[in-house]
Parts: sequence; structure tokens; C-alpha cells
Amino acid sequence: MRHLSLVACLAALLAGPATAGTDDALDRHVLPAMETFAEETADLSRTAAAGCGAEALRPAYHAAFDAWMGISHLRFGPLETGGRALAIGFWPDTRGFVARSVNGLLQDADPVVSDPEGFAEVSVAGRGLFALERLLFEGDEVLADDSYACAYIRAVATDLARTGQALQADWSDHAALMRSAGEDGNTVYLSPREAEQALYTALITGLEFTGDQRLGRPLGTFDRPRPTRAEARRSGRSLRNVGLSLEALRGLARSLSDVPIPQTEAAFADALSVAEGLDDPVLADPAGRLKVEILQQRVELVKTAVAAEIGAALGLSTGFNATDGD
Amino acid sequence: MRRRAFLSAMLASATMPGASWADAGSPAFLAAAREPSGAFALFGLSATGQDLFRIPLPARGHAAAAHPVAPEAVAFARRPGAFALVIDCASGQLRARLDAPAGRHFYGHGAYLDGGEILVTSENGIETGAGVLGLWARSEGYRRIGEIPSGGVGPHEILALPGEVLAVANGGIRTHPERGRDKLNLASMRPNLAYVSLSGGIEEVVELEPDLHHASIRHLAAEGGQVAFAMQWQGDLPDPAPLLGLHRRGAAPVLCSAEMGEQMSMDGYAGSVAMDARHVAITSPRGGRVHVFDRQGRFVRAVLRADVCGIATGACGLVVTDGQGGIAALDPDLAPLARAARAWDNHLVRLGG
Repeated sequence: MRHLSLVACLAALLAGPATAGTDDALDRHVLPAMETFAEETADLSRTAAAGCGAEALRPAYHAAFDAWMGISHLRFGPLETGGRALAIGFWPDTRGFVARSVNGLLQDADPVVSDPEGFAEVSVAGRGLFALERLLFEGDEVLADDSYACAYIRAVATDLARTGQALQADWSDHAALMRSAGEDGNTVYLSPREAEQALYTALITGLEFTGDQRLGRPLGTFDRPRPTRAEARRSGRSLRNVGLSLEALRGLARSLSDVPIPQTEAAFADALSVAEGLDDPVLADPAGRLKVEILQQRVELVKTAVAAEIGAALGLSTGFNATDGD
Repeated sequence: MRRRAFLSAMLASATMPGASWADAGSPAFLAAAREPSGAFALFGLSATGQDLFRIPLPARGHAAAAHPVAPEAVAFARRPGAFALVIDCASGQLRARLDAPAGRHFYGHGAYLDGGEILVTSENGIETGAGVLGLWARSEGYRRIGEIPSGGVGPHEILALPGEVLAVANGGIRTHPERGRDKLNLASMRPNLAYVSLSGGIEEVVELEPDLHHASIRHLAAEGGQVAFAMQWQGDLPDPAPLLGLHRRGAAPVLCSAEMGEQMSMDGYAGSVAMDARHVAITSPRGGRVHVFDRQGRFVRAVLRADVCGIATGACGLVVTDGQGGIAALDPDLAPLARAARAWDNHLVRLGG
């Protein structure tokens, strides 16, 4: 071992083709979800261009947000480049940056909203779905098409569509990188295992995000529940986001595994049925607290099942350093 | 001069005559790792990331301190650690075991002074919470010869600077071994960067503004009279909290951040820091990225790599290690040097620097 041969080191660098897990996850999960997000944000942008009436815009906003729930857990590669994830969904917003940015632009009637390139440089907190939520659900019901707020809405929608298109384009390149993991010249994925690791980490951290943040933030503590911390509560979609994110994560889990995953399936079904049984769209009903806690615990059980069934089969766990630093 | 000659003689008697790092294959770096079997080991690595030696460790380690001349490394148990192992990297044999004295435990880092005669370890004064630097005489079989205050609470990395001065990252967080890694003083924590010498004690203490008191100063790098300190945010993120500072003795620290989206993607956590002539870089395993700044503190770029944490300067420029077994040069772009089926631990330790 002391003078490990060069051959041994080279052997570690060479690797076979990507596994079915990566290909399936890309073809059945990642790429279709990116396409949906690009389509829905393009539709949102067209709708905003046609007018700022809330009745047309709110459904387009919801459809784009639904599509975001389909990809928000894919926090690596294109979504992690240039702060894009935050520019789409700035949440959790622990210091009220969205309100500050949106109000700042509105008060100054900042002309940057009429310059798409300039708007792409605006603070990530003043862009994306959460800025749009403020504009569509907190402001006036009826917005004149020549108002500043309408111009701002159009700028956000255009920016989201541009990001959606860029993500889809970048993902076609990134998918090629993942499929060629371990091949010569691929400096991003040094082995097929690294591509699987990226997808598996996205699955586990996605489950943690839904449990700890989407459910955990509004739960707060028993003595101090924090209902105003629920995600997208202004548009009444906090619980909807939990359900959609679980469905997306189930899609990723299914595509990652070559073999049946009965424990994982049962755990997802259980969590989703608890979510469906909740009559508390913004997770704010004190009487429903116990049910939200049960849902959070069911999401935790999904994570346990995924680790036992998918992680163990692939020989993967989450980051060695990321989960245990010092 | 006389003291030097005396120390050299003592050194020679304490180890194989003339033993040097060349006897261990002249590694450029040391790094600990978890192997696929679940076992832990310390590796000596060449400048291009090839294995030069492998020494089994009894448990997951934290950092290692490398002797400047002799092929000896001190492997610290993870905090709150009661012991550290001095390993002869040429033979793989245990040279000494350091047991923290009563009322002290190790915080996971150490540094050598006085040409390698004195090992300094960062420690917790358990009863009062005051940070302590433990002193050990190598020529006396690593006998504990004393201790001095670290200048703060929760000292973590310590770094020997030219002129027998230590830079100490006092993380500010009080812990108690009976409470594991629980943080006992988050509301009142006051981290600092301290400069300490054996002759002069605490020479300078650098504290950040009160709104940054939740930024625990943990890891250090130094180059050309400048010290870089990397931070870990405690509690809810105040969105773009800086995670890197640059300091020169007697001057005010310069805090370094990327633009908001990038900064937030670091997740409030810098795991390691390294500096070369042109750049300083911090790693975030939680954010899966490295942030590179110039020596004036201006953000240069982000480099994405999952679970990246170890970073050090070597012949290939800045080199990073990660939990997937990768070793890569940061310049010009992330260029893989080697890959092995093991998970590299938090730190990549540079030798001879």
C-alpha cells in the first residue's frame, strides 16, 4: 500500500456505463419535470403579457408553482448555478427579504422592471414565485395593465420563463454529463456512483426539506406555533406544496430503483394519505397541529424507508462531511 | 543557538536518527478517510493525490497536525476528544498517546512551535469554559509541560505563523463533554481570532461586530502576513452572513461575501479554508461548493462539487477533497487528480507549510 501502483489509481478512475438508475431518473423524472417547468413558466409569461387580471394570472401562477414543486428538490447542477433556485423560490425567507425587495421596487417604481436583462440582476428576493405571490395576492385585486405593479408582474413572469428555458437547455447538457459519468474528460461526475449519489442526495434532502422546513417551520414549538412561517401561505398553497413535493420525491425514488421498493411505496402512500386527510391548507389551524405533527413523522418514516431500501441497495448514504461537519 | 543545538540533540534521541518526511514517501498532504469497510485511516498523499501511505485509525478522526521535519502526525479524536495519537508515518507505529489532563478535552486541532519541539493543542477548560492551549514537549515523549489561555472560548484550529506566534480561532461556543456537542452559550457567544505566543501571551484579539457574534470562527489559513479565517453560522441564517474574513496584524479585518444567491447557497457553513499567493478559498460541504476570493477579498467564482470539504495549497495550486473520494485541483477549473473508494474527512493538511 505504501507505494500504491499507478495502475491501481487508474483503475479507480475508469468506470463502466451509467446505471439504469441514473438513466431512468433522468428520462422518467428529471427531464420531463424540467420540461413542465419551462412550459408552465412560458405560459405564465404569455398570460401576464396579455393582462394583469388576477383571475387569469392566479391560475397561471399556481400552475407554475406546481411545476416548481416538481423540480425544487433537484438542487444540484443547473439549479444550483448562479443562484437560480433562490431566484425561482426564495424560501425560507428568515428575514423578510422578499417583502423588503418587492416593496422597495414598488415604492421607487424602479424602471428596472422594463429591462429584462437588468431585471435578471435584481436581488433574488425581488424575483421569482414569492415576489409574484406578494404582487398577486397582497396588492389590489384589479391591476391596470399600464400600472407599475403590472409591469413588475410581467418582469417576474418573463424572468421565470427565461430561467425555465435556461434550466431545460442546461439540463440537456447536464443529463449527458450524468450519463457519461466516469468517462474520460468528464470532470463533474468521476464515476457512475457519483451521478447516483447526486440523485440520491436530492431525494433525501428533499424529504428533509419538506419535513423540517415546509412542515417544521409553521409548526414551531408546541408553546409557540409559527403559522405565518408556512410556505406560500398568502396564496393558500402550503399544504398543496407538501403533497406535490412528496409526489415528486416519490417519482424520483421510483425511477432510482431497479427493483420493487415496497417499504418506500407504503411509506409514501401513508404520508400522502395523511396529507390528503388534512383540512388545513396553510397549516395554521391549532386544532390540526397533531395531524401536522403526524404528517411530519410520516415524512421522516419515508426517509427511513428510502435509506433502508434504496440507499442500502445502491450502497449510498448522504454526504459524509455535509451531514457531520466540525 | 545553544538551545537549538540542545533541541536537535533531544530530537535525535527521541526518534530514528535523521528520520524525515522523505522516509514516509515525502507526502505533500495528510488526510483522514472512511474506507468502504467502515474503517478509518490516515493517508499520506503526493502533490497529485496519489496514496503514499495508509495508517489505520481506531475511529473517525478530525484534523491531523504534521511535524515540520520528522515524519510524525498527531491525529485527534473528534471533539470532545479525550486523546490524540502521535503516529510515526514512516513505520506506521504509534509513538505516543496524548491524554487530555483532568478538566480538559481536545477540540481537534494542533500545531507545532519551536521547530517541532513543542506541540500546541486546542482544548476546553471544562469547568470555566475558558479556552486553553495545551503544551507538550516532543523530546520528552510528548509530556505535558503546561498550558496558556487561548484568548477566548472554544478554540478550534490553531496555526503556527512565522516568528513563533500562533493564530487561534476561538469559535466562541461553550460545550461540556457531558452534553456532547450541545452549544451552551449561543445567546452570549463572542468568537474571536487571537494571536498568541509562548513568550508574550495574548498579543492581539480580533472580534467582529456584535451582529456577527453568531459567526463561529473555526478554521484558519495564512500566507504572506495575512490570516484567513473561516466561519460557521449558528442558528437561523441572517441571509447573506459572511463566512470568510481576512486579517493582517494591527489592521481591521476584511469580510468577504459573494452575491446574495451564491452566499446563501453556502448554507452558513465553511468547513475549511486555504490560501495561496493569489487566492483564498473556503469549502462548504453543505452547499456542495467552493468559494474562491482574491487576496483583497473580492469574490472570484464558485466551484460546485458535492460534499467538498478538505482544502489545502500544494504544487498543483489549491487542492480539494470530498466525501466521494475525489481529489481535485481548483485551477484552472475543477480538475480531478485522483479518486479512491473512500470518503475524505473534513480536512486536508498541507505538509511543510
